[in-house]
Amino acid sequence: MLSIDNLHASVEDKTIIKGLNLEVKPGEVHAIMGPNGAGKSTLGYVLSGREGYEVNEGAATLNGKDLLDLEVEERAREGLFLAFQYPVEIPGVSNMEFLKESVNALREHRGEEPLTAAEFLKKAKAACKQVNLPLDFLKRGVNEGFSGGEKKRNEIMQMILLEPSLCILDESDSGLDVDALQVVADGVNSQRDGQRSFIVVTHYQRLLDYIKPDFVHILADGKIVKSGDASLALEVEKSGYAFLGKAYEEADA
Amino acid sequence: MSQWLSEVIATAQTHQDWLAPHRQAALAELEKVRWPLRKVEDWRFTPLIPVEKRSVSLATPENTESSAPKIGELSAIELVFSGNELLTDVSALSLPEGLQIVRFSTATAEQQQEIESLLSDVKPAKHLFGQVNDALLADGLYIRVAAGKTIDTPIRISQLASNEGDQHLRVLMQVEAGARATVLEDGYGDASSVNTAFSEYVLHSEAHLEHYRFAMFTQQAMHVGGCHFKVAEKARLNSTLVGYGSQLSRLDVDVIYTGEFANANINAIYLLAEGELFDLHTTIEHAVPNCTTEENARGIVGDRAKAVFNGRIHIHRDAQKTLAELNNRNLLLSRRAVINTKPELEIYADDVKCAHGATVAEIDDTALYYLLTRGITRSQALIMLNFGFIQELINQIPNEDIAGWLLAQLHDRFVGMEVK
Repeated sequence: MLSIDNLHASVEDKTIIKGLNLEVKPGEVHAIMGPNGAGKSTLGYVLSGREGYEVNEGAATLNGKDLLDLEVEERAREGLFLAFQYPVEIPGVSNMEFLKESVNALREHRGEEPLTAAEFLKKAKAACKQVNLPLDFLKRGVNEGFSGGEKKRNEIMQMILLEPSLCILDESDSGLDVDALQVVADGVNSQRDGQRSFIVVTHYQRLLDYIKPDFVHILADGKIVKSGDASLALEVEKSGYAFLGKAYEEADA
Repeated sequence: MSQWLSEVIATAQTHQDWLAPHRQAALAELEKVRWPLRKVEDWRFTPLIPVEKRSVSLATPENTESSAPKIGELSAIELVFSGNELLTDVSALSLPEGLQIVRFSTATAEQQQEIESLLSDVKPAKHLFGQVNDALLADGLYIRVAAGKTIDTPIRISQLASNEGDQHLRVLMQVEAGARATVLEDGYGDASSVNTAFSEYVLHSEAHLEHYRFAMFTQQAMHVGGCHFKVAEKARLNSTLVGYGSQLSRLDVDVIYTGEFANANINAIYLLAEGELFDLHTTIEHAVPNCTTEENARGIVGDRAKAVFNGRIHIHRDAQKTLAELNNRNLLLSRRAVINTKPELEIYADDVKCAHGATVAEIDDTALYYLLTRGITRSQALIMLNFGFIQELINQIPNEDIAGWLLAQLHDRFVGMEVK
């Protein structure tokens, strides 16, 4: 599925990812935890191809395709989905138009017929219901005036509609109360089908109570410094990142 | 004075036709012009350098285009000028009852008198290139819609810029009391040329005019033209203006209310590709009470292109109960794109409702990235983010054939523009 080999990446000449290795197999859920400034969000941006994020060394492939060689939209078409930590507000573009364009762009890539307006509406309504968003959200501008929780649920709704093969959830739990967290987790769990893989980037162990990871990795200073099973997250929750050394303890404080 | 203006004056003095008195009046004004105009507020942002050293040539070269683009399934009364030649045989047109179209150059003595009495009655004298058009006009069309008649078929007047030469044509139209008509004026060209297309409209009481002016001159084709309207009691004007840019393209629009309870709705769209210039000046004269104006100008400006918008609404002392709104929105596609926008409200009456505003925005990189991560192509994402506010104005166009065609034209032009 996803294979990252010795990845080095920088933003504005500052190196953030410093030799990252990660192997994600179909159906697996990997959690990435780590102190602030470790490069957690940067990883999502680099993999999705955001402008300004420079890969200096290493490789990343998705289903055997060289990810780093593709444009942002091509990566999405190859099955990569990034749920944003801070979803973007786009006034003037309706959520409906946005979702329809993206769903049909991906269908076209797979050689499928575009959905008609009626077919799409049916799917969109079901997805809306699944993440507990009122239907009038489809008519509103993309994320325009949405609360933090609504924005996160909108990300999950997009994930459900786009049916990606690899989902990167960038702090999808931040700013959510327990109920909203449950909705987000349910949405994610509903998409676990043994084939689809997930990278769950989170600062807290809490989300992992709801989305059970197969592996937990600790990212620090641009590298994965420790990997383990779900129990590693509990350990971090209990004793923090102290085992990484004094510098990280402070950064996390 | 520039070489060009001197030649305009010299050329006009040789015309000895029935319009000679009219030409002489304009020449007297042109002789007073202090060129260059860089220090004149009206021309502050629009340099006339490309026109200054040109020669005047009224002949229509052989290689000039001879057909206007087809507008979807639009069925119109088509009048096509190639350079200064009218390609349409007006006498052979079968016109609906109540519609009269007269060509200046074949007007009868009686029609000449009628034309002379109307010429420059609506167009304000302040427009320098309007005076040039007065002095040099090679031909024109006089259109009259009889009182109470509704002409369903749009009247389309196309100007194909003279290849390498000048084009100075005039349109005069009277929409008599209670009459209705649709007029589309469109102009095209890309080769080095100068076009002054001025048109004057008189809307009598309760008349209704659906008007379009598409200035689609690009590259080397220069265009400085205008459309001017007098709007009488309870008359309605709905006008859609579209501008592409060239090395020099400018449109001056005047609306003068002459009767109460009249209204004008003006939507303007400009879409400028790399390095182009387009200047839109509009003036609305609320000289009488109880009239309503709504004006929306929206533009997208490409790399190193420059747009100028000056929208003036002048509410005279007696024009109580005026409602006027003026809005200008711009999107700059690059750091080197320029807009000079100036909405002006000048109000002398105390019981009026007026609003004006102007905004300038740039491409939002984060929004663009967000759409791309959902598999949407870059060009489609840019259209979604930026074309929408132009599309909103197109959606208001009453004629579906024109709206559909225009949307496709602007869409193609936008897709071809590079975002930097």
